[in-house]
Amino acid sequence: MFLELSQIKKSFGEGESKVEVLKGIDLEIEKGEVCVLLGPSGSGKSTLLNIVGGIDNADSGYISINGEKTADMNEKALTQYRRKHLGYIFQQYNLIPNLNIKENVEVGAYLSDSPLDVDELLNTLGLYEHRHKLPNQLSGGQQQRTAIGRAIVKNPDILLCDEPTGALDYKTSKEILKLIEEVNQKYGNTVIMVTHNDAIKNMADRVVKLRDGMVRKNYVNETKTPAAELDW
Amino acid sequence: MRDPLNKRLPRELKSDIGKHLVIFLFFVLIIGAVSGFLVADNSLIKSYDESFEKFNIEDGNFELYTTVDEDTMSAIEKDGGIKTYENYYKDEETKDFSSTLRIFGERTEIDLVDIWEGDLPSADNEIAIDRLYAKNHDLKVGDTISAAGIEFTISGIVALSDYSTLYEKPSDLMFDNDKFGVGVTTAEGFEAVRDNHIHYSYSWLYNKKPKDDEEAKEKAEDLIKVLSENAVITNYIPAYANQAIIFAGNDMGGDKMSMIVFLYLTVIILAFIVAITTDSTINKEASVIGTLRASGYTRRELIRHYMIMPVLTLLAGAVVGNILGYTLLESYMADAYLGSYSLPTYDILINPEAFVMTTAAPFVIMVIINYVSLSSKLKLSPLRFIRRDISKRKKKKAFRLNTKINIMARFRLRIIFQNLPNYITIIVGVLLANIILFFGIAFKPLLLNFQESIEDNMLAKNIYVLKMPAETETSGAEKGAMLSLSTIEGKAKAEDVSIYGVETDSKYVRLTDHSKVYISTAYRDKYDIEEGDSITLKEEYGSKEYDFTVGGFYDYPSTIAVFMDLDSFNETFELDKDNYNIYFSNNEIEDIDDSLIAAKINKDDLTKTSRQLIRSMGGMMKVFEVFGIIMFVLIIYLLAKIIVEKNAQSISMTKILGYTDREINGLYVHTTTIVTVLSLICTIPLVDFILSKIFKIVFLDYSGYLEYDVSPLILIRTGLMGLAAYICVAVLLNMKVKKIPLAEALKNVE
Repeated sequence: MFLELSQIKKSFGEGESKVEVLKGIDLEIEKGEVCVLLGPSGSGKSTLLNIVGGIDNADSGYISINGEKTADMNEKALTQYRRKHLGYIFQQYNLIPNLNIKENVEVGAYLSDSPLDVDELLNTLGLYEHRHKLPNQLSGGQQQRTAIGRAIVKNPDILLCDEPTGALDYKTSKEILKLIEEVNQKYGNTVIMVTHNDAIKNMADRVVKLRDGMVRKNYVNETKTPAAELDW
Repeated sequence: MRDPLNKRLPRELKSDIGKHLVIFLFFVLIIGAVSGFLVADNSLIKSYDESFEKFNIEDGNFELYTTVDEDTMSAIEKDGGIKTYENYYKDEETKDFSSTLRIFGERTEIDLVDIWEGDLPSADNEIAIDRLYAKNHDLKVGDTISAAGIEFTISGIVALSDYSTLYEKPSDLMFDNDKFGVGVTTAEGFEAVRDNHIHYSYSWLYNKKPKDDEEAKEKAEDLIKVLSENAVITNYIPAYANQAIIFAGNDMGGDKMSMIVFLYLTVIILAFIVAITTDSTINKEASVIGTLRASGYTRRELIRHYMIMPVLTLLAGAVVGNILGYTLLESYMADAYLGSYSLPTYDILINPEAFVMTTAAPFVIMVIINYVSLSSKLKLSPLRFIRRDISKRKKKKAFRLNTKINIMARFRLRIIFQNLPNYITIIVGVLLANIILFFGIAFKPLLLNFQESIEDNMLAKNIYVLKMPAETETSGAEKGAMLSLSTIEGKAKAEDVSIYGVETDSKYVRLTDHSKVYISTAYRDKYDIEEGDSITLKEEYGSKEYDFTVGGFYDYPSTIAVFMDLDSFNETFELDKDNYNIYFSNNEIEDIDDSLIAAKINKDDLTKTSRQLIRSMGGMMKVFEVFGIIMFVLIIYLLAKIIVEKNAQSISMTKILGYTDREINGLYVHTTTIVTVLSLICTIPLVDFILSKIFKIVFLDYSGYLEYDVSPLILIRTGLMGLAAYICVAVLLNMKVKKIPLAEALKNVE
């Protein structure tokens, strides 16, 4: 199994105000799969994504990627883990505001020994003509495409997407989903996408539904719908 | 209802206590120092100014070759419009340490004595001595001091009102309160001291006080004519030109402006730092500000809100600074003057001007700079704040950087351009801190270097100035001639120039061409004279002028001097062909009677300036060094911290992407390192240049010349100290970067 999550627990606060956000998540994801984590607000999906992404720690349980457990890693090793294996896409893009579009992508490329060709990627993303602009000169969709470019330029094993269409309109959201789908197909990265948009589950290979910190449903989607055909 | 936003202030103070504390301490330090200085300066100046009337300070004094009878003196008084007072003194070498003690008799009418401690002498073997001289030789009331074969008991520690600065001779380049001191005895005690070192000095007061220096000058010129008609004058110095009387007053006033300029520059830099930190807070709180504005809060209310904390910090700093200024720091600052000058006793006076300058003016500067910055920032619409779209440069196209430059270097360049105001303030701050630091570090070596250069370039180990020709058998003694002329007052004050006549085959002063007139390198450097230029000098106590064409320069770095062949000297000054009045000698001359020797110039005389400056200002230089370093660290830390805070989200994001701490520091801390190191490299030569110009301007007002010659090692040392201070800052910044949580990037997702 490429990615394995075992008995992941996480709580916030202490004493009476302690809230258990994840109550023992078990999950297995195959390499190259598109996995959609669905759930209402507070279900723990973003927390789970952050733990997989090594930017938050689980209270107990472990995550194993290609047999390597993140719980055994110190801070330096975790940094290397993120550097080698992960690409991250956020709802708010989190681009570096004082770097232009190309430079934002290059920031990702710098981390890899064999990055994708930046100009070619910018062309693929439809950003080449905007490459010298600053992030705040672009639309939300273009910014998110840049964020995707930054995440995939190092050709990561896992692409973590936290509500990547949460701040976008319908049309742009579909463009972004199409892009993620293309990236998955072209480069074979494992995609874990957190969303509360139920329709997105249709483009996934695997759907995991969370509620109250527990996995309520975990199934393989037998009839995948291309992103272009999604509707909501 | 009170503005509910004010409730945030204590919390804001608590949450960012470090920043506020640093700014507060900075204000306390700078306002305290300047307030202390102004209070001490004002109190001492007031006391000094009042001393003229209180102690009946003379309008001038002259010394005669010998006493004159009453009729002659009456004629002088009548024709000169003055009243004269005998003020004889005897210069005696002290036995227990090397110094000259100038002993005066009892003073009851003129140039009265102010008592700091103890009493005036009442017995013949008692003496009251100058406070500074006593301090330098660790003498106290009840101790004894031996001079002229008499063991005096010190009855009091005093200040002689006509010796507020201990200049031994009017022509001295600098005072020396270590090698020279003054004291008063009883009239009988004075009589008991041997008479062969007596100076027939008379002080005078005009019957009708001159209105100003101009008139005083005219009167003095008239008086010298009267004197020269009636007696043989050996010394003549009106009060307005007497450094022993006026130097302290001129100096005390002179430092005030530089202190105030220093305060305002620091306040402006601090105000910019505060404006930049507030700007950073506004960026952080943009959506809150947008919401408040959308809810009906006015721009003015928000400006006021964001100005309260910095203004309160300044006011709190001003209150504490002023309290320290009137207490601890006043005495410290006063000591800087009291360590140099023999001033009269004084009371600490409340100084409203100091309050205005140290509190009201910085308050206005702070308010203006912050108001302009805030009102420009808060001009944007509420919606743009809500959207966090508050960059004014937003619509401008990003400038391009050559893509051949690697991404990390471009990243750093972008950080520099993004934070240009911070970095410009850092550069200005580094410049200012370096001026202070460099001055502190360079001052003593500069003087020691100068001292060494004087010692290496002395004409002879001793120069004996004779009252009349006298032969000697001393080996190596060489005849010469010397007299003093004066420069013509212009850009600089008039000052004495020593004119030397030297023998053609002189072993001491080797002139290349004896048909030419040479000037000392000090003369050349001070007045920017070139070979072939013409200089005009005049008689000190007369009006006759002499023109000389400069034929070359003689390496003599401390004294304003002219050298020529002895025959030309005698011809120029219409003296006998075989006239001489000095001996150059590397050996002590012991076969000429002391009474025939007017003066002996040796190493101690020539190095007075540097020794006195080291003594009086050496302690202050440590303060400059420490203050320079503190300023350096605080300015860089505060501004670099803002850069890190402003980029917290990007830093967090780079961490998420997998950048290591080292790489992130390489981006966000090394940019500050680059700017700081470049600032150091660029500003140190600039500081060197600025200080050399300041030195030149300052020393135009002093007689003599202090060569500005700073070793490159001092430049390197200043740079290294700056660098060491920066390393501390960099460590703090690295820690700060390390502390930024990964979750920072997720904040706006919530």
